[in-house]
Amino acid sequence: MSYDKCVRCGACLAFCPMFDATGEEQFSPRGKAYLLQVMDQIEDDEELGKEFRRLLFQCSMCGRCEEQCASGVDLLKVWHEQRAKAVEKAPEEFEYLEPLKDALANVKNIYGLAEEDRAIYWLDELEDEIPGLEDRVYKKGKTADNMIFLGCLMSFRGSQMDVLRSLFKTLEKLDVDYLVMGADENCCGHPLYLMGDDDGAEKLREHNKSVIESAQAKNVITCCPGCLIQLREHHNLEKTEALHHTQFFDRLVEAPPKYDEAEQFSYHDPCELHRILEIKTEPRSLISKMGIEFKEMDLSCCGGGGLLRMTDPALSDKVIQLKAAKEGVKHTTVITACPSCREQLLGQDLKTKDIVELLSHTLGGSE
Amino acid sequence: MRIRDVVIGANASMYYKLNFRKIKGVYYPRNTIEVIAAIRHAQSNGFTVTPKGGGSGLSGACTGGDDERVMISSLQMKDVLTVSKDQGYMDVEGGIVIDRINEFLDPMGMRFYVAPSSRDTATAAGVLSTDGGGNDTWVNGTMRDNTIRAQVVLYDGRLITVDWEGVKSNDKALEAQLNDIGVTLHDVASSHGTLGFITEMRLKIRPKFTEKLVGGLAEFSECNALGKALTDMIDRQSPIRYGEAITIAHDDVREGFDPPLLILEFPEDYVDEIKDITDYKPLDAAELARMKNIRIKLPKRNPNVGVQFALFEGYGFHGDSLLKLQDNLDEIEALLNSHGMAPFGKYGHGPSKWYLGDNTPTYGLILHSREIRPEGKSGEELLNVVLEIVDKCEELGVTPKPEHKWPFSDVTKKKRLEEIRQVIGDGFNPFLLSPECNDVLGSMV
Repeated sequence: MSYDKCVRCGACLAFCPMFDATGEEQFSPRGKAYLLQVMDQIEDDEELGKEFRRLLFQCSMCGRCEEQCASGVDLLKVWHEQRAKAVEKAPEEFEYLEPLKDALANVKNIYGLAEEDRAIYWLDELEDEIPGLEDRVYKKGKTADNMIFLGCLMSFRGSQMDVLRSLFKTLEKLDVDYLVMGADENCCGHPLYLMGDDDGAEKLREHNKSVIESAQAKNVITCCPGCLIQLREHHNLEKTEALHHTQFFDRLVEAPPKYDEAEQFSYHDPCELHRILEIKTEPRSLISKMGIEFKEMDLSCCGGGGLLRMTDPALSDKVIQLKAAKEGVKHTTVITACPSCREQLLGQDLKTKDIVELLSHTLGGSE
Repeated sequence: MRIRDVVIGANASMYYKLNFRKIKGVYYPRNTIEVIAAIRHAQSNGFTVTPKGGGSGLSGACTGGDDERVMISSLQMKDVLTVSKDQGYMDVEGGIVIDRINEFLDPMGMRFYVAPSSRDTATAAGVLSTDGGGNDTWVNGTMRDNTIRAQVVLYDGRLITVDWEGVKSNDKALEAQLNDIGVTLHDVASSHGTLGFITEMRLKIRPKFTEKLVGGLAEFSECNALGKALTDMIDRQSPIRYGEAITIAHDDVREGFDPPLLILEFPEDYVDEIKDITDYKPLDAAELARMKNIRIKLPKRNPNVGVQFALFEGYGFHGDSLLKLQDNLDEIEALLNSHGMAPFGKYGHGPSKWYLGDNTPTYGLILHSREIRPEGKSGEELLNVVLEIVDKCEELGVTPKPEHKWPFSDVTKKKRLEEIRQVIGDGFNPFLLSPECNDVLGSMV
């Protein structure tokens, strides 16, 4: 058990956003690893067990603890396994997750909306602006070099529409051969993975894999780092490379026109993108190619991951509020490249742009 | 019992299996008033009080032993209060982490020169409570040398301020009593939370050194030669700004180096002097940074198979025991081997400085020790090994646990603390002074 390797040095306290927001040790990685180390002493206490299981879901799974841990404890794996155990041991304590599970089982998206609606909202909004967009939606028998995997947030949330608009306009402007999975897209499985339900996630992945393969796509491209974790690490795609949109565009665009707006920019690097997927250079390369100067924000979490928005929204809010206050970004535009981070930033009334919005603007495709 | 009552036991020592039901309250106060309120709660219910900082110490003092107790964490008292660059001090709350102090001072061109290996976690009050030091203690002194005063809340809620002259308090009778017995910062240093809760501290700060430093790596065929080189540096008072020795490192973490070795950084003007003492290989900035990184991570890394642990936090080699470093280490290693302990690493500060219980400064090598945790040993067996090592240290003229020496060996310090506690009360961390201390610690391994 790798949590045994934790020497309880406490170095993780300095970086953990949950500890920072709460100030109490039980929220820290050391605190949780310690609880596992002394579990034999406390496992008979039902109330403690319940509290511990709740604590496991009071974490944004940003992975900074694992990155900083000199003792080599693979903490993300530990949290993943423990979450699975927690749900298995006391499903009644996680009833609030059941609607999400049901939605994913029945309609394959996190919102419980009809499957065919995946390509309704944004298509209604954008088809006049982007002629031929409807033809880009995948149907059986269609093929393309690139398959766009939007994910649940971008498929259904109006707050993501500007990113979608920019994404499609940029693809069109660059004459990219692409299809959007549309109603044939299942959730990537990341929410189930985050609650330790690997079997449930696998069912969703199998369908996605068959669609991507039938479209003979060389690349599957997504704006969502969570989806990319699933597509790249868990879908077992053999002939298709899973890419973040910043990777795809950075390869494709050598010298875009310079960004012409005088704005102060900060860059919030999504945890799942840089820390878990280790995609660090392409987003920055793309921003720099557009001649945009930006301030690097601390590589700390926005509080939007790990299902935290669902399991403890107040804690999630506190994490982003503390981050925004520390970074002093109220009067800047926060560049990011993740729909969950975008939601967190918008929730604090911060001005934010996805990298593809900037790219679309420089290419003359957005406004 | 709540989970916060359990988690407060998390600490880096091998004493971590607490009797959680004896913890009667956990507080994370944000100011002195809240500290006093927490202590009053303990006092009115007959509970003892245990202060806790970052929990990076290895003595087990922050566990509070087995008493029915209230635990007070300083982690939310982490503010810088004032800074006087001209007068060379800063006032901080006791829970501020050492690295945060220097992050704050850095833009001002100032620095707080105490650098324990755990400076990313250790709090200012915690480091004073152990009188910790680090890789530059030789030139910059231990925590007590860098502390001007400390504000302490006592078990009855009264406040005292202790500096190098004595004690000040609004309670003049108490002030007089403590000054009569000569209480100074020497007593707060290394008191391991037995006197009170440190809420605020005034620390010495200095401009960052601007002298040009050079790095070097001295490799030795055996440790007596290393001990001789360190002795020469001490005799010549060589201005070593960074001195870290590694005498043993497990294959999985040594990254190709072959201890014993000494990593050095010193002013360029002293190249000839250091060359005269030891035949070191110059290191460029990147190589030096790499060596420092290898060293600082040793207390946290693990072998590929098994888990490291701190059975005995460290050894203070000085005088003859430093000159016979290899012979003494052989004896200690033989003792460890006889109990089935496989070495993981021995590394530490040299040349360095520590204080004995009578406040005599001592100079030598502080060598931390990590072993691979053996399977199937009871807590009692492991603690007995610790006690055997203490005896061995005394036989060899080695200071046991020179920084975190409590509670093993320092009869002088114990007596002094008991004398002070007769005046201020004995509600803070009494287990450390009790005859049952070893049994209690053994039960927590």
